[in-house]
Amino acid sequence: MELFADLLLIAVGAALINNFVLTYFVGICPFLGVSRRLDMALGMGFAVTFVISVAALLSWTLTEFVLRPGAPLPSMVWRAVAGESADGAMDLSILSYIVYIFVIASSVQFVELYVRKFFPALYKSFGVFLPLITTNCAILFGCLEVMKHVHSREWGLAESMTMAIFGGLGFTLAIVLMAGIREELDLSDVPRAFRGAAITMVTACILALAFMGFTGVGANVRDALLGAEAVEAVIEDAGPGDTAKSLGTTEPRPRD
Amino acid sequence: MLTVTLITLAAATMLALAVAAGSILGWANRAFYVAVDARVTRIQSVLPGVNCSGCGYVGCGEYAEAVAAGDAAVNLCAPGGASCAQAVAGIMGVDVEPSWPYRAIVHCAARFDQRLGRSEYRGELSCSAANLVAGYQGCTYGCLGLEDCVRSCEFDAIHVIEGLAVIDYRKCTGCGACVDACPRHIISRVPFKASRILAVACSNQDFGNDVRAVCTFGCIGCKACERVSSLFAMQDNLPVLDYDSYEPDSAPQAEELDKSIEKCPMESLLWVGEPAPEDILATADEELPLRAVADFKTTVDQAEWRG
Repeated sequence: MELFADLLLIAVGAALINNFVLTYFVGICPFLGVSRRLDMALGMGFAVTFVISVAALLSWTLTEFVLRPGAPLPSMVWRAVAGESADGAMDLSILSYIVYIFVIASSVQFVELYVRKFFPALYKSFGVFLPLITTNCAILFGCLEVMKHVHSREWGLAESMTMAIFGGLGFTLAIVLMAGIREELDLSDVPRAFRGAAITMVTACILALAFMGFTGVGANVRDALLGAEAVEAVIEDAGPGDTAKSLGTTEPRPRD
Repeated sequence: MLTVTLITLAAATMLALAVAAGSILGWANRAFYVAVDARVTRIQSVLPGVNCSGCGYVGCGEYAEAVAAGDAAVNLCAPGGASCAQAVAGIMGVDVEPSWPYRAIVHCAARFDQRLGRSEYRGELSCSAANLVAGYQGCTYGCLGLEDCVRSCEFDAIHVIEGLAVIDYRKCTGCGACVDACPRHIISRVPFKASRILAVACSNQDFGNDVRAVCTFGCIGCKACERVSSLFAMQDNLPVLDYDSYEPDSAPQAEELDKSIEKCPMESLLWVGEPAPEDILATADEELPLRAVADFKTTVDQAEWRG
């Protein structure tokens, strides 16, 4: 129940409360670039979701076993080299960024090959934006979020994957909403000064504002799942299980 | 010791990752291989890449695919011209028939002063909007002069001079964007078999008196040109020049055409195309305004946005 509640909280947090695009403002370029048509936006959303899941899986594995301070693999090597009496921990976390970028680029390349083979129409409609997923900071953000929580020993694989998948779905939701609005905007009478990029930016901002309304939902979800006592206990603990806090959601509202 | 191990380990990690990712991608590259016709990329490289859609396909890439698949002729690229058609034909291994460069012709010759019976217009300054309004100008066939074609042209080859769209043939590539943009359909693409070519510069399909009432230039459908030259055929009260049988080098045809221009009472037949050297010489000392300011603007029209 505890784990399930944590996962649900991470899912809701990544998809709605801390939506990658609308709260952290990462992954803006595909959000504004590929949100002109609904079908393309949906395709882009799923491509990003897939890449972010693959990248999170790989980066969790690599961080957990190779890159984090005191990771088993380098420590094993260090002990083998310096003998049992070896002191000083092995820390390969300097490699984190380059490894994540490497992993992201490879998985995007893989996705591109796959989409080209099995979804040629989607491949054509993506055009230049498919390789650009490589530089989509939403994905690097996902990897870094995984890194942060693995370093502090909070998240296992399940939590990381939940964050990645639902973060990707949150991105999909945001880009699809945006595409829907923009399709309507094409038919509406926009003042000339606002046409084109300007109205798109304004729309994105209003959408982001709307998503701010989800702030604080996390605590209520946890409240509903575990009961008020559990929430208070966890918050007093402020231990590793305090996902509400680690996700950056606000404190639970005072109960009246 | 720690540092040396750390660096070695870091290098080893990167190397292992590179090997792993390389082999996976290498496998995927073969497993998901999509056969692309090598000719498509070669055709794409010889096309100009302006994506003007003049060939009838969405962009140069799609046209290249259609050519490689045998669905499209090799000489459809207007901006590329004859050399491009030759190159594409070479890649496809076919012979290209000599094709003429297509250029746009405006079938209206009346400048702003020559069009009669217009009323004040306060609407959106675009031809497609003005075309919906009755009484914008007397002639319901001629150029509206509100620059829809100018905005559509990616090559800066068309300008509205004194309320009439005029094509700069040194820049026109014949892509046909203006043909689609004109709501009155007064622009057409014709094969330019010579640098100067004859054009019927009127689109008014009304009878003589009605045309005279609204325009000092317009074709009144008198059929004088049709009687003199077999190249003209009357259609909807307008002579249509048969560009397929038009041969600029044939002396008898040239004589017939000269005669038809002479006979035309309304000056509706015009030579268009690049100016002849003697014309340039003759007008060398005149300074022509690049764009005349139309006088039908009211203060309301100064406002950028309405409604």
